[in-house]
Amino acid sequence: MKRKKSLGDWIFDIVNTLIMLIIVFVTLYPFINSLAISLNDADDTIRGGITFYPRVFTWRNYELIFQNKLVYGAYIISIGRTIIGIITGLLFTAALAFGMAHSNLKGRRFYTILCIIPMYFGGGLIPYYFLIRALGLMNSFWVYIVPSLVGIWNMLLMRTYFLGIPIALEESARIDGANYFTVFFKIILPVSVPILATIALFIGVGQWNSWFDAYIFITDQSLKPIQSVLLSIISEAQFAQRMAQAASGQAGPIDAGRVGKGMTINVRSLTMATMMVTVLPIVMVYPFLQRYFIKGVMIGSLKG
Amino acid sequence: MNGNIAIQPTAVRKKGGISGFLHEFLKQFDLQLLVIPGIIHIIIFSYIPMYGILMAFQEFRLGDFPGMSEWVGFKHFNYLFTDPNFGLVLRNTIVISLLKLLFCFPAPILFAILINEITNMRFKKTVQTVSYLPHFISWVVAGTLMFDFFSVDNGAINSALIALGIIDRPIHFFGVGEYFWGMAVITDLWKSLGWNTIIFISAITSIDPDLYEAAEIDGAGRYAKMWHITFKSILPTIILLLIFNVGNLLNANFDQIMVLTKQMTNPKLREFADVIDTYVYRVGISGNRPSYASAAGLFKSVINIMLLLAANKVASKSGHEVL
Repeated sequence: MKRKKSLGDWIFDIVNTLIMLIIVFVTLYPFINSLAISLNDADDTIRGGITFYPRVFTWRNYELIFQNKLVYGAYIISIGRTIIGIITGLLFTAALAFGMAHSNLKGRRFYTILCIIPMYFGGGLIPYYFLIRALGLMNSFWVYIVPSLVGIWNMLLMRTYFLGIPIALEESARIDGANYFTVFFKIILPVSVPILATIALFIGVGQWNSWFDAYIFITDQSLKPIQSVLLSIISEAQFAQRMAQAASGQAGPIDAGRVGKGMTINVRSLTMATMMVTVLPIVMVYPFLQRYFIKGVMIGSLKG
Repeated sequence: MNGNIAIQPTAVRKKGGISGFLHEFLKQFDLQLLVIPGIIHIIIFSYIPMYGILMAFQEFRLGDFPGMSEWVGFKHFNYLFTDPNFGLVLRNTIVISLLKLLFCFPAPILFAILINEITNMRFKKTVQTVSYLPHFISWVVAGTLMFDFFSVDNGAINSALIALGIIDRPIHFFGVGEYFWGMAVITDLWKSLGWNTIIFISAITSIDPDLYEAAEIDGAGRYAKMWHITFKSILPTIILLLIFNVGNLLNANFDQIMVLTKQMTNPKLREFADVIDTYVYRVGISGNRPSYASAAGLFKSVINIMLLLAANKVASKSGHEVL
């Protein structure tokens, strides 16, 4: 594209670049600032003025939150529900999508309509709540897993992908006498890694970020995911205070001297450390896998 | 994966009727077995709760079999329309959604067009990658960031404003009811701007580059090209998305509002932040009036569908591609 850059062009490009830089800054600054605060000595943070970097570097805030059984336990719950949720979700959703991709599936039209309707009509929160209660999933770890085994949207994305697999692959196996289970597990799944990765990411992010199900269905503190702990910290002032006090109480012999000098643990530092730890897996996974997300969205929007 | 895999000798006739169906069904039982758990799951978790629609017309009492409570017809709806609480909730829902439509809908479009104008590929990719990030964090994390960012206690915004001399006392961004609408829009924009541009960016990439060449030859300047080619080409996508958003109008982001209002525990915010979904939650689950809440929820769904159909109609009448 040979185009002489006029003055107007230069001005436009400069302004555009500035706008982009502002957007990048506004997007990233809260993260960077929070990271700095989380790595900064709590007493120093109170003085204010922390921006991009910790003034007095310390791992102390992180040490303290991970000594707290609530945080430690919640992190394990979150990891657990994410991993189990991904594996089971992929299994159930892919199996359904696999079947739906076969035009020789008896009852296919019925199944298809069955899947489409709930995308437009729902009963709402109240009956769903009663259902969970009736199924005995209240206050159980499995409330994180069972209701989300099949995502209709995810299923449709997988079905689209499966429809694109050359039929010869399956046909030759069937002629050799393989049943559908063998075809599914030994042939189709191995060549479906891209879509499995994409859906795994959708499910994983959903599981990791989930907090409302724990909020209304779980009362047992030891079953709460890390999002719930963070939510309690920012919503209930006493929760954060109690955590801070527990943390101060845990200041060991090494800190006795510091505690003596009037150093207390600060709620803001604890909050930032907890938040960083909550966001960490997402931020780590994100740069490498964002193209899978994008592709998933694009396929989804084309279909939809 | 299309077509019947089994090879049938031409002399065999398929058995008709129910027994024929059953026969075919059992022949592919392994395939059905892969499908049936998923179907059962959908029936349980997507269909059974649908009795909630009935609940809106009944009076649910503890111990009632779901969907079989005493029929009260439109009693709840009548109450809904005279309930001043609901009037407030409806107002909040509409205002918040319209504000978001006004600001958060055009912004990604503009952003996508501007991103398209970036010539340095590396810079372009970086901007995009960074901008998608807030979408992937939960509202709990986003809320934490926003609370700290706008905090009265050394929060970034207040510190900057005070340092610049614009204000001399910190503003209580999340504490004052009147500010809530603005804060809801701003935080939503921060969180969703990047992600919402994906659709528009991909629409832009499918524009035929020859159009730009032709326009260049015809003497079109940069802005002319941006308007007549880039914008006009993605207009169908914009219309489609607009219809979709209008159909979601009464669904002000439940997650966001619950987090930003600390689950509605801040009474000062309630007057401005309570939306239909949070109202249904409070009244239905905490407040123990499930039938009434179901009526509110059903009302919302029906209005949404009507808005969707209306928007669709308007768009098709003006000659645009529709759902």
